[in-house]
Amino acid sequence: MTNETRNGTGAADHPVIKCDSVYKIFGENAERMVRGSNGNIDVKAFQEAGCIFGVNDASFEVHKGEMLVVMGLSGSGKSTLLRCISRLTKTTAGRIYIDGEDLLAMKDKDLIELRRNKMGMVFQSFALLPHKTVLENIAFPLQVKGISTKDSIDRAAAMVELVDLGGRENYFPRQLSGGQQQRVGIARSLAVEPDIWFLDEPFSALDPLIRKEMQDEFLRLQEMLHKTILFVTHDFDEALRLADRIAIMKDGIIEQIDTPANIVLNPSTEYVAKFTNDVPREKVLKCKNVMEQIGEVADFSDLRVSHNAIIETVAEAVLNESKPVAVVNDNDETIGVLKHKTIVHILFGDISATPSNAN
Amino acid sequence: MTQFSRHSKLIQFSFFVAVFLILSFTIEPSENNLLWRLPAYLAGVPAIVNDSVEYMMFDWMPIEKYNEEIEDFEETPLLKEITRSISGAILFCIQLIREILLGGVKTIVAFTSWDYVQDNSWAHWPALPWTVVSAAAIVLGYALNGIWLAMLACFATIYIAVFGQWEPAMETLSFVMVAAPLSVLLGLIFGVLAYKSQTLEAILAPLLNIAQTMPHFSYLVPVTVFFGLGDHAGAIATVIFATPPMIRLTLLGLKSVSPEVIEAGIMNGCNKYQLLFRVLIPSERHQILIGVNQVIMQCLAMAVIASFIGAKGLGFNLLLALNQLRIGQALELGICIVLIAVVLDKLSLGWANKQIDYFADLTFAQRHKYPLILVAILVVGTVLAYLGTFIFKDGINYFYLIPHNQGITTENFWQSGVDWMVNNWYQGLQGFNKGLIINVLVPMKNAYLGMPVSATFFLVMGLGYIVGGARSALIVGGFLLFIAMTEWWDRALITAYMTTFGVIVSVIIGMVVGSLCAQNSLATKAILLVCDTFQTFPSFIYLIPVIMLFGVTDTSVLIAVIVYATIPSTRYTVEGLRNVPRTLQDAGTMSGVNRMQRLVTIELPLAFPHIVLGINQTVVFALFMVIIGAMIGTDDLGQLILKALSDKNGTGNGLMLGLCVAFIGLAVDHLILRWSADRKKALGLL
Amino acid sequence: MRKFKNKLVAGIFALILTAMAGQAMAKDSSKPIRIPTHNWSSQVVMAYVIGGIFESLGNNVEYVPADSQAVYEAIRNGDVTISHEVWQSTFGKSFYNAMAKGGLIDAGTHSASTLEELGVPHYVVEKNLCPGLPNWEALKNCAEVFATADSGGKGRILEGPQSWHGDLMPNRIKALGLGDKFVVKFAGSADAIWAELAAAKKEGRGIITFNWTPNFTDADGFDFIEFPPYQDGCRIADGGDGSCGSPKGWLKKAANYKFPKTHPAAYSAFSKLSFTTAQIGQMAALVDTEKLSHQDAAKKWLADNEAVWMAFTK
Repeated sequence: MTNETRNGTGAADHPVIKCDSVYKIFGENAERMVRGSNGNIDVKAFQEAGCIFGVNDASFEVHKGEMLVVMGLSGSGKSTLLRCISRLTKTTAGRIYIDGEDLLAMKDKDLIELRRNKMGMVFQSFALLPHKTVLENIAFPLQVKGISTKDSIDRAAAMVELVDLGGRENYFPRQLSGGQQQRVGIARSLAVEPDIWFLDEPFSALDPLIRKEMQDEFLRLQEMLHKTILFVTHDFDEALRLADRIAIMKDGIIEQIDTPANIVLNPSTEYVAKFTNDVPREKVLKCKNVMEQIGEVADFSDLRVSHNAIIETVAEAVLNESKPVAVVNDNDETIGVLKHKTIVHILFGDISATPSNAN
Repeated sequence: MTQFSRHSKLIQFSFFVAVFLILSFTIEPSENNLLWRLPAYLAGVPAIVNDSVEYMMFDWMPIEKYNEEIEDFEETPLLKEITRSISGAILFCIQLIREILLGGVKTIVAFTSWDYVQDNSWAHWPALPWTVVSAAAIVLGYALNGIWLAMLACFATIYIAVFGQWEPAMETLSFVMVAAPLSVLLGLIFGVLAYKSQTLEAILAPLLNIAQTMPHFSYLVPVTVFFGLGDHAGAIATVIFATPPMIRLTLLGLKSVSPEVIEAGIMNGCNKYQLLFRVLIPSERHQILIGVNQVIMQCLAMAVIASFIGAKGLGFNLLLALNQLRIGQALELGICIVLIAVVLDKLSLGWANKQIDYFADLTFAQRHKYPLILVAILVVGTVLAYLGTFIFKDGINYFYLIPHNQGITTENFWQSGVDWMVNNWYQGLQGFNKGLIINVLVPMKNAYLGMPVSATFFLVMGLGYIVGGARSALIVGGFLLFIAMTEWWDRALITAYMTTFGVIVSVIIGMVVGSLCAQNSLATKAILLVCDTFQTFPSFIYLIPVIMLFGVTDTSVLIAVIVYATIPSTRYTVEGLRNVPRTLQDAGTMSGVNRMQRLVTIELPLAFPHIVLGINQTVVFALFMVIIGAMIGTDDLGQLILKALSDKNGTGNGLMLGLCVAFIGLAVDHLILRWSADRKKALGLL
Repeated sequence: MRKFKNKLVAGIFALILTAMAGQAMAKDSSKPIRIPTHNWSSQVVMAYVIGGIFESLGNNVEYVPADSQAVYEAIRNGDVTISHEVWQSTFGKSFYNAMAKGGLIDAGTHSASTLEELGVPHYVVEKNLCPGLPNWEALKNCAEVFATADSGGKGRILEGPQSWHGDLMPNRIKALGLGDKFVVKFAGSADAIWAELAAAKKEGRGIITFNWTPNFTDADGFDFIEFPPYQDGCRIADGGDGSCGSPKGWLKKAANYKFPKTHPAAYSAFSKLSFTTAQIGQMAALVDTEKLSHQDAAKKWLADNEAVWMAFTK
């Protein structure tokens, strides 16, 4: 993939998405009050005026090929944040940059161009056009761009294969199951080969088994495509499973933004801890997250585990060894060590005492 | 206290009724008594309306224009020139379609002149042979929706041709094919604009209400003043009648598009127009198709009335046939109207649901199958028509056009049916007729006329208060006040009496028939089909046999009203009952109710809010028919509306009278909708 | 009678003048002459007859269905060119209203004299259901013969729509002292009258309706009631007590004021055109009794009576 190579060449310096103190405030007077505030938003004053904060001072960056999952319960402002960044809703204050360009200052025409070429979005309720077939739905963003019927249909047909819907091209959305409909939604959002992919609770409306299947499918696609992704969900397990980084939101405020492991190991607020407490850490943490420095240890067991291995998958083997187990990186160099007590601690112990070097 | 508040509405109601009765019996009926009748403060308004319309049309902003006919300049007012050019454009469209179907010279004239046509005898567009139109309709039906629609189109066109109604049917068709798309287009435009602008929506809402409750007779005169007489005037009156439901349904549809679908459209990079035409409108195809269906039904329902102001075709012939008391002929014409409505409706539906197959690997011939077939039909039909000139010796070419006097007719059958009915039923019905008039209708009418205006206000506003608080009371009071200040209060009371009677009987019949039919899905389908048919079937036709049986009496009018107004009450009862959630029915069954109990204790109460909407429609339908009943002979507002056709102040009188009728309808409408909405909310059905 | 003669002379004089003027002017415009068709047989047949005459002169003709009351406003505005059956008592008011506003001209009178009056189907007289008819005095003694379900035991008189002549008939009935024996019911349309007549005929029962001649009912026989003869000023509107019958009425023709200028030859023929009661009856009968279509009836009539109508075109 060409994306991959570009990813490697220092594009990380320029975040694909950058939010700078983004506010979305609902209320009749919000606009006027913001104008009068000179950029210093006094939350109390707004709330006293009857305003409600959808998004409260959100700042973060998403880098090329990275998947940021925004997690929060309903009403936390996660979808509102997504809609600010896709400019589906008007941002009250703050700045948003897409590839360094000021999104909020963009003219309608440029915005449309941006959406036609760089953005794709998947919706919770699929949002397929009821009057169009699978194929026509997928071809729709292409046709909107002005691509000829034949070319757009050819491209859509290829997308149908990608999401594994071959043979259902001429079905209408109402004739498909929820999972199938969302596959169409995914194919449609990818049809224009966008760089940025927004997913708004894409799997929440699906049955648990299907959801699992779709998550695997999604990971498979991301493995191939390496999009820059903003993924919104209310399901913490889903966030852990998919994310490169997770942003946890509550009442419009981002409580913590970090890697899954770090969030599990070091929840920064009580609210975040409520989610992490019940998480089976062995299923989330990888060897590299909990290994200790090689330090004084010299006597390793014969067993070596990959630094990317999930603890759960290696726990039994490590415990069966009498000596500490070496952790190796992709180049088979030993970079750390796993001790019994670490594993035992992860499996049975209190979270706060776990050694961590998450990255 | 709780006891009181639970029954408070009942107590309030009893209070209002009691005061009403006391007022009714104590107030002195005298012209000078303000409590008895209000003075006609608005009596001068029709003349003012009239004068201003006249001024605008005939005096305002005159422009000089050269008239080549009289070879001189003449002054002609600007507005008249504007409206006449609109008329001209519409007329051109109608004539274009008409001449494609029936041949003629006017389209050619539009591009040259009458002199040119007169000097060049070749300048005449030939008619399409009926066989071609018929075959084309069949192929179109097949292409759009398969064999059944093809058979329907086949039956309809052959029926029309064989019964010798081809020419008037094509005339009506050409007029509908302009009026219907125009209504749909205007409906979409205004629907979309109202969707975008809340201000416009707020302005449109009352106008739509009035347009939908105002009897069509009342705007015939204004339409002729503004647009003249002819097919275009008929088309314009039809558009006024058919557009409001389209606007409503479009707006309703657009509002119900899921916000995520709109967002999906935006995120896919749609600009404003793409979003509108490729996302919003097509997503709401369902509502819009209901709108198109309504438009087509309304257009053909207007076919007869449009002929009052110059629309040619089936409607006019129907009026002529009725005038000669040729019921059979009128019936055949009426069936033609219904058939055209059904075929157009199904074709438009099929077209909207058409699916494209992108993968079929087709040859040129396969891909252009239908156009090629149509060309072939044209060639074959023309050749056949040409051969026909040799086959048929008596100057009539049955392969080209079956003239009206050569078609078969079932007239005698129907005529003898009517004769039989009159011979056998008349005597028996006289007793019923007399009893009804003496014991029910006359007392009821007198009771209505005996209501003092103050008492009426008290009762109606009281009802408004019970249903929707002070606001509702003021709204219905406002409607009533308008009527009370015209000089037609008594006439309005007579209209109200006939409407009330018609509605009561229609609702009873509708609910009974509807409840019975809703028990079985086959019967449901059948009854809905009957409803559709009667809704398009010209009501004028059954006026005549009814008069023959019941004479020029209120009974005749009311029977016509009941026949027509039962349609919505039946339809809504069936729909309401069929839509009762399955789970609730099952719950009822499991708790051991029998079928009757289930109907009475579960289904009817749950369906009732919907049925009430049906009652609302019943009121509107009944009002319409009471007005048309003026053709039989009434002494209510309708009679005056008919009279306004020849009045000096026709425009003003017609519109004011129309408003009076509309306001009666709207007052009832307001009360019922308000109640139904509250009720639905209470039942958790919203 | 003298008045009628005066009118006739004036009319003829006007005709001659316009005819001469017509000859002097250029040929007719090729724009179609718009002839209204209403919903009764004789009028529609006559429309096609007149259309046929115009076509024989080389004019283009167009037929417009129109309401018979609304048509005068349309003529005034030029949407319709002529009206060829202006019945005095039914349309006189609309006709003069439009004329007063300007734009509509009187194009002469048919020689058919019309009568619009209350009457009974012939069988009522024949079967002697009410001895003494058609003299109006007979009504005094047989109100019950004409009673209907809604007349409360009184005899019912079925009058045309109130828009035709207002309260003329109720006033007359009252003035003649029949007010406590008869009620007047206004029908909503001519159709309603015909339907009632047809039903009554089947039953052979008595019925009094408003009707006119020439009309298709002439074929079945219809006897007009002989009320006290009409005299000038006998109607309430004219200062009398209203106790008189209808006068023999005129049947006029109307045209848009531009018609003589745009189609001088056609206008000349139209203004000369005059049908008799018998001729109008013939036209109606071709449709109503022989069941021809209106166009066919007109064709047949034109073929059978060429001498009659050719005279108008000269």
